Amino acid sequence: MPEWLLPVIAPFIVLNAIIGIVTYVTLLERKFAARMQSRIGPYRVGPHGLLQPIADAVKLMMKEDIVPDAADRPVYNLAPIVFLAPCMFIFATIPFAPGLGVADLNIGILFFLAISAMEIVGLFMAGWGSNNKYALLSAMRAVNQVISYDLPFIFSALTPVLLAGSLRLSDIAAAQDGLWFVFYPVIGQLAFIFFIVSTVAAENRAPFDILEAESELVAGFRVEYSGMKFALIQLGEYAHILGASFLGALLFLGAWSGPGPEWLGPAWFLLKAMFIFLLVTWVRWSFVRIRVDQILALSWKALLPMTLLLLIATAFVVVWRHSGVA
Amino acid sequence: MASPEVQTVADVRALRDARRTGGTNVPALVRAVLSAMRMTLVNLFRKPVTVHYPTTQRPYPDRYRGLLALVYEEDTGEEACIGCRLCEFVCPPAVIKVEIQKGEKRNYAKAFTLELYACEFCELCVQVCPTDAIVMMKSFDMATSDRRELLLDKDRLHTIGLQHEQSWATGNRLRDMQGPPKLAKTAAPKKVPPPAAATPSAAPKEGAQP
Amino acid sequence: MSPAATPARVELDYAGSERLTMNMGPQHPSAHGVFRAVLTLEGETVIDVEAVIGYLHRCHEKLAETLTYAQYPSIASKTDYVAAMTSEFAYVRAAETIGKIEVPKRAEYLRVLVSELQRVASHLLWLGTWCMDMGGALGGGATIFLYTIRERELILDLFESLVGARLLYGFFQVGGVRYDLPDGWATACRETVDVLEGRISEYERMLEDNPFFMARAEGVGVISRELAEEVGISGPLLRGSGVAYDLRRADPYSAYADFDFRVPVESSGDCLARYRVRMVEFRESLKIVRQVLDTLPEGPVSSRPGLKSVAQTRIPQGEAYARIEGPRGEVGCYLIADGKAKPYRMKWRGASFSNLAVLPHIIPGHKVSDVVAIMGSVDPVFGEVDR
Repeated sequence: MPEWLLPVIAPFIVLNAIIGIVTYVTLLERKFAARMQSRIGPYRVGPHGLLQPIADAVKLMMKEDIVPDAADRPVYNLAPIVFLAPCMFIFATIPFAPGLGVADLNIGILFFLAISAMEIVGLFMAGWGSNNKYALLSAMRAVNQVISYDLPFIFSALTPVLLAGSLRLSDIAAAQDGLWFVFYPVIGQLAFIFFIVSTVAAENRAPFDILEAESELVAGFRVEYSGMKFALIQLGEYAHILGASFLGALLFLGAWSGPGPEWLGPAWFLLKAMFIFLLVTWVRWSFVRIRVDQILALSWKALLPMTLLLLIATAFVVVWRHSGVA
Repeated sequence: MASPEVQTVADVRALRDARRTGGTNVPALVRAVLSAMRMTLVNLFRKPVTVHYPTTQRPYPDRYRGLLALVYEEDTGEEACIGCRLCEFVCPPAVIKVEIQKGEKRNYAKAFTLELYACEFCELCVQVCPTDAIVMMKSFDMATSDRRELLLDKDRLHTIGLQHEQSWATGNRLRDMQGPPKLAKTAAPKKVPPPAAATPSAAPKEGAQP
Repeated sequence: MSPAATPARVELDYAGSERLTMNMGPQHPSAHGVFRAVLTLEGETVIDVEAVIGYLHRCHEKLAETLTYAQYPSIASKTDYVAAMTSEFAYVRAAETIGKIEVPKRAEYLRVLVSELQRVASHLLWLGTWCMDMGGALGGGATIFLYTIRERELILDLFESLVGARLLYGFFQVGGVRYDLPDGWATACRETVDVLEGRISEYERMLEDNPFFMARAEGVGVISRELAEEVGISGPLLRGSGVAYDLRRADPYSAYADFDFRVPVESSGDCLARYRVRMVEFRESLKIVRQVLDTLPEGPVSSRPGLKSVAQTRIPQGEAYARIEGPRGEVGCYLIADGKAKPYRMKWRGASFSNLAVLPHIIPGHKVSDVVAIMGSVDPVFGEVDR
């Protein structure tokens, strides 16, 4: 195989696989939420609703693309793409098995965190370009919220980095051979909890979904999008959630390690990512949402100091352990 | 209309801030969050209350107020409706139109139309009918894309009466249930009763007349 | 240019602050019906709210002049369609007061029974929609909504086996009620009441002390006691602000004097207080239902003979105002009769209509998200507001 072929094929395969997983993850969420609400969920399209995501995708492709008259055309049209691209890029550095990944950068996790913070640009472009007060209000809330929660997200993700001693994601996964980071006494559990909370908030999932608050702002920044553009935004949102679930599984739950032969590794990885996704979904369907000023207060007054202190404490623990061993 | 005279914005803020409790009780917080999540988890394992509708039919109660229909008399097989137009007068949205056709022994309804799309399903027409001719069925399945199909004429009403199961309520049963206790309280009279005044003293006479 | 017709809307005040006029329009997922609130915002804070109603006006009061006393009770359900029994009760009581018509004891007990079951059903819908407004149709709010609707279906099943209809009943008539209990209904009712008590405890466990819920409900939408007494609100809004006024105790009607129940009163006046009042009302209503089932006397269900013609009931000349403690507050019906089969004039006092008057006093100063929380705890039903 020519040298240049693999780096071209791998992203193609990964992107398609991610899109496929994302569509079926929506079905998983709908069935899970339905069962929690004493109902059945999608059932009729295909056996037990298995063709529902396909039907939704076809419907969105066939819908009329309505563009508001007074919208800012270039900004409005580019926003879904600017929002989707970073959500897809985050899968570049995640290794699905030892040596099986698109680009295993030595600053893997830094790349992930930096790129995922870029979506806020697309989000604000969508809110501004729609020329709609509801969308603008939602976009302003979104900028506030995502920026506030990116910091605790980064700090809680850095705790496993300190424990593993490397920014490369495959190194972090390999360092969990003996003990998964989530089982580290106190530090691991606290970091995991903070990671989950900041993930839920940075992805605009309930109880922090103030920016799309249907009951107040009717879909928020997405309100003027229809058809395929809306589909792209939905795809981006779920891809981000999935990416953060994969990251959480890698950082805390040992990525591909699990009983059985080596080639089962990616399956275990997927299972762990689904576990985190279901955890986030469970939280989403259990709580009412809180107000935007309360969300920001939670971030700046509670989460940020706690994650910072946790990071410093982890640094102390690592130094103490190294000095004890050496 | 803006200026609130009794409560000002500052008052609202003061009242709101006075209610704020200082400090957060972390264990109680965690316990409350986990309690809510446990509730949803418990419901995850309960049987769903929704059913697969067209394949699973729900058993309708006896008194269900469904589609309207005209019925035939049990013993003679003739149409029970005598065209008296009492249902037409009592209907609140006035959806019933009846034309009477006089006969030698008894009257009939020449034309009977019921606009089901405007019907309120209040059961008043059933209640006033002296011959139990108009009744309601234990079914409501008549979804259609053409409103004209819901303009029921006499033949359609009779067909509905034969197609579905009738509910418990008929005019005489309802009137027997509602009035002060009378002597004849059991089965509905089969023949057409004379249009007597609704006084209790008329009751024994009704049962005695052929 | 006609000056007085178009009210002035200040879009951007360039002298420093930026004010935005936002329409929480008649079509809105949490408008509780058709309600238009024109909000003036400064950032996220609401400075002013102007309530625009009338989108659901259906001329009930004129309609009552064209329908007889036998026909109108089933139409009366459609004012407060969430608690249909209450509206019918008010109309029928007004007619009975003018005509000095006696209602048999069994009918009074049955009226109390269905009114209290209706109160539970209405509060279940209130809890579900309020949590859905606060939590979102795709989120935790929807979960609680579906749970309360699941419980409300149990009560609606009971009504269905009693009356035949699930939402708009036509159960009352002048002189009593139209339907008697079928066989086995009392047993089914008792079982349902037991299930409901357990489920209400579940809701309390999900919501009470929940930090997210408390953050949205505590200290929000405070109605002070003075404001409550001046503005003319009623029902749980009044009792949540410390005024112990419940028509079932203050002006007992029907058979309420025979039953033992508590009237909950909270003093803080915020959304949480109103929530607590309604949660206690749940249990008290179920207590009343049990008492009615235990002591239900035998007898006829109506003092008037069964309906045989449309103009059967004639009310002599007179006027009366009958009021009922509905789930939303005081529902009143003012009737002027003139001896014929149709009333001369009928006027509804809608509980939600008077309750909405408190909104411009309590909303300014809160954030946009609080508007929906406050609207939900005021619990308006626009059939009652616009009639």
